[in-house]
Amino acid sequence: MALVQKLLNGTYILRKCPKASAAFCPSLSFRFADYCSSSLQKSGPAAKKGSWLRKSEGGLQGRHQEEVAVDLPSPEEKPEVSFDRAIEDEVKDHFKRLKDEIVNHWIGPEGRPLHEVMMEQAKVVWQFRGKEDLDKWVVTSDKTIGGRSEVFLKMGKNNQSALLYGTLSSEAPQDGESGRSGYCAMISRIPRGFFERKKTYDWSQFNTLYLRVRGDGRPWMVNIREDTDLIQRKNQMYSYFMFTRGGPYWQNVKIPFSKFFFSNQGRVRDVQHQLLLDKISSIGFTLADKVDGPFFLEIDFIGVFTDPAHTEEFAYENSPELSPRLFK
Amino acid sequence: MSWAQAALLARGLSRGWGGLCGAALRGAPFSQVAALALRGLHRSAAACSSDLSLVPSPPESQRRPVKVLEPHEELFKQAPGGERDKASFVRAVQCFGQQDVRRRGHVDFIYLALRKMREFGVQRDLAVYNLLLDVFPKEVFRPRNVFQRMFVHYPRQQECGVAVLEQMEQHGVMPDTQTEFLLTQIFGRRSYPMLKLVRMKLWLTRFKNVNPFPVPLHLPPDPVDLAKLGLRHMEPDLSARVTVYQMSLPSDPASPEEPAQPHIVGTPVSSAGIQSPDQQAALARHNPARPIFVEGPFSLWLRDKCVYYHILRADLLPPEERDVEEVPEEWSLFYPMQLDLEYARSAWDDSEFDINEVEEGPIFAMCIAGAHDQATLAKWIQGLQETNPALARIPVVFRLAGSAGELLTSSGMEEPPPPRPEAQEEEEVPQRQQQGQG
Repeated sequence: MALVQKLLNGTYILRKCPKASAAFCPSLSFRFADYCSSSLQKSGPAAKKGSWLRKSEGGLQGRHQEEVAVDLPSPEEKPEVSFDRAIEDEVKDHFKRLKDEIVNHWIGPEGRPLHEVMMEQAKVVWQFRGKEDLDKWVVTSDKTIGGRSEVFLKMGKNNQSALLYGTLSSEAPQDGESGRSGYCAMISRIPRGFFERKKTYDWSQFNTLYLRVRGDGRPWMVNIREDTDLIQRKNQMYSYFMFTRGGPYWQNVKIPFSKFFFSNQGRVRDVQHQLLLDKISSIGFTLADKVDGPFFLEIDFIGVFTDPAHTEEFAYENSPELSPRLFK
Repeated sequence: MSWAQAALLARGLSRGWGGLCGAALRGAPFSQVAALALRGLHRSAAACSSDLSLVPSPPESQRRPVKVLEPHEELFKQAPGGERDKASFVRAVQCFGQQDVRRRGHVDFIYLALRKMREFGVQRDLAVYNLLLDVFPKEVFRPRNVFQRMFVHYPRQQECGVAVLEQMEQHGVMPDTQTEFLLTQIFGRRSYPMLKLVRMKLWLTRFKNVNPFPVPLHLPPDPVDLAKLGLRHMEPDLSARVTVYQMSLPSDPASPEEPAQPHIVGTPVSSAGIQSPDQQAALARHNPARPIFVEGPFSLWLRDKCVYYHILRADLLPPEERDVEEVPEEWSLFYPMQLDLEYARSAWDDSEFDINEVEEGPIFAMCIAGAHDQATLAKWIQGLQETNPALARIPVVFRLAGSAGELLTSSGMEEPPPPRPEAQEEEEVPQRQQQGQG
C-alpha cells in the first residue's frame, strides 16, 4: 500500500514538474521514473530496506503538502539520486574491508599481533552493551511454520544486558504435516567480510564456552554451527543443554566444547565426532521445552576461555551396535 | 437450495418464458417478442434476485458441525460416573484386544490411544506403553526371508511402533526389558523400532543427570511446599533459612471493628520467604538513609509450573560511598594477618574476561507469596522485621510491575524507570525519599 501511495504521489509530482525532476535526476533510467519520485533521500549503504521506504515516504508526504502551496520544490530539498550513489558507497565500503583484511593479515591473525592472540586465555566474543550489538543476532520462532510462539529481543535495563523474551506455544500448526511445534531461537549473524564473504571464528585454542545469563528456570539448548559453505554442512550442528537456575542472581554457565553432540537435519546421529573449533560460523540458543507460557533470558556476555582443568576430548563414544562400520 | 427456493425460481422462470410464449402465440412480431422476452427475462431475473438468488447460498453457520467419532473412540468414552484415569484407559485397550484376535485396525487404534493418553494422565506410565505395544499381533511382522529383510517389512506397523517409542522419549520414559522383548516378538531384532529402542537406551541414559539444578519429577501439590522448593532452587547459599508466614483469614472474627467490610471468601494466603545469614548481615549494615525496594513479580518455572517471586534489594552504592575495608591492627604476633605479596601473573596466566560485569545492588531476601498485592508483601516485610530489627528504620518502596517476565534492575546511575500501567509505589515508613528513586 505504501508503494501504491508512493507511485500515485510520484506520478502527481512528476506531472507537476517534469522538467524539474528530469533536471535533478539526470542519470535516472526510464525504469526508475516511477519509483524515484523527486523527494528521495540519500540512503546509506547500511540502511535497512524498511527504513529507506519509511524515510522516502515521510519526505514524500511532506513534499506533497508543500506542493499544494508552492509550485517548485524548495532548494534544500533537492531530489538526489540515491541508487547510483548507494552502489558507489557499497563498493567503496567493500574495498575498504578488503584493504583492512589484507593489512590485518600482515599485522597478525584477525588484525591483532600474534603474541597477543597466542597468549590469550579468555576472549569475549559477543557482548550486549548497545543497540549495535543486538544487530548481530536474529530471532526466529515457529511462526515461520505457522505456529503461535512469539519472541522478541531488546536491550535490558541500563543497556547492560540483552533480554530475550516472549511466549512459547506448543500448538501445532494445522498444515497437515506437523505433529509438534513450539520453539524459539536466537541465532548470531554470520560476520561478513569484503563482498559479503562469510568469515568464521577460530576458537581452536579455547576449550570451554562461557555464558553469563539470568534465566527463569527453563532449559535452553546451545547450538553451534560450523562453516556453512559446503552444502552438506548446512543442516549440521552441535548442541548441548543450558539449564538456567531462575532467580535474581546472575548465572555463569561453562560448557566445554567436548560435550557438544552432533546432529544432522534435526536428528541426533549415531556416528558422533567432536566439534572442531577452527571454523565456527554461528551460535544459537533455542527453547523448545514443550511447556506453554512466557519466558525470558537475560544475557550479559558470551565468551570462550581455556579451562586448564578440563582435559576431555570428546564426551560420547560410538557404540558398535549402532555404528558397526566404525569398528570393522 | 431448498424446495421453496426451487419453486420460486421455477415460477420466476416460467413467468419469463410463459410471457414470451404467450406473446409468440399471440402472433406478435419477432422483435416485439424478443424485446418482451428480454424485458420479461430481466424482470423475472429482477424478481428472482429480490427474493432469492440463482447461486446456492452457503450452508447456515448456525448449524454446528457434526462431530464424527473415530472408529474406536467409543471405547475411550467416559463411563457415566467414571473418571479418566489409568484403570479406564487400560480397560479400553484390553477391550479392543479382546474384540478381535486378528486385531483389525490396530494401527489406527494405537495412534488414537497415543493421542488420548494425555487426557487420561498416563503419558508417563511405562506399563501402559507396554500394554499398548501388546496390542500388536505377534510374530506376524517379523521378516522371514532375505527379501523381506531387504525392504522395510510392514512399513506402516513399523512407523506405528516408532511413534509409540517417540512418545515415550518425548515424556522421558525409559523403556525396560519387557519393551525390548515385546519389540523383538513383534518386529524382530533388525527392525526400526528395535533400532530406536537401542538409541533411546543410549541417549536417555547419557542425558539422565545432565541438569545441574534438578527439579523433582512429581512436584508437590501444596502451594506452600512448591514455594519452599522454588526458593531453595533459586538460592545458592545452602545455609539460607526458609520461613513460612501464615496469613489469617479476612473473615477472622478477631477483627470485629470492621463488620461492613465485604466478605472475602478464600483460603488463608501464606507466603514463604528465604534469607541467608550473609544477607541478614548485609541488611544490618545497610544505611537507613537509603531506601530498599520490593520488586516483582518475576517468574520462575519448575518443570511445567510457574511461580512468581519478589525480591528485597537495594540500589548499588555510588563509588564514593562504598566502604573501604579497614585493615585491622595485627592481633597475632606469630604470623601476619595480611600479606601483600604481588604474585605477578604474566600474560599466559590471565583467564579474566576483558569486560565489566553487570553490577547490581545487593539482594537481601526473596519470597514467593500467594497473592501479588501489597498487603501480602507488607506482611512478609513485617515477618522479616522479627529477624532483622534494622529493617524497621529503613524505608521500603514497593515497585510492583504489572507484567511478569522482565527484571527491573537498577544501579547507581540510570534513567528514571519507565512508567508501567500498574506500578504502585508506597512507603512503609514515612521518611525522606531519595530523589529520582521514588
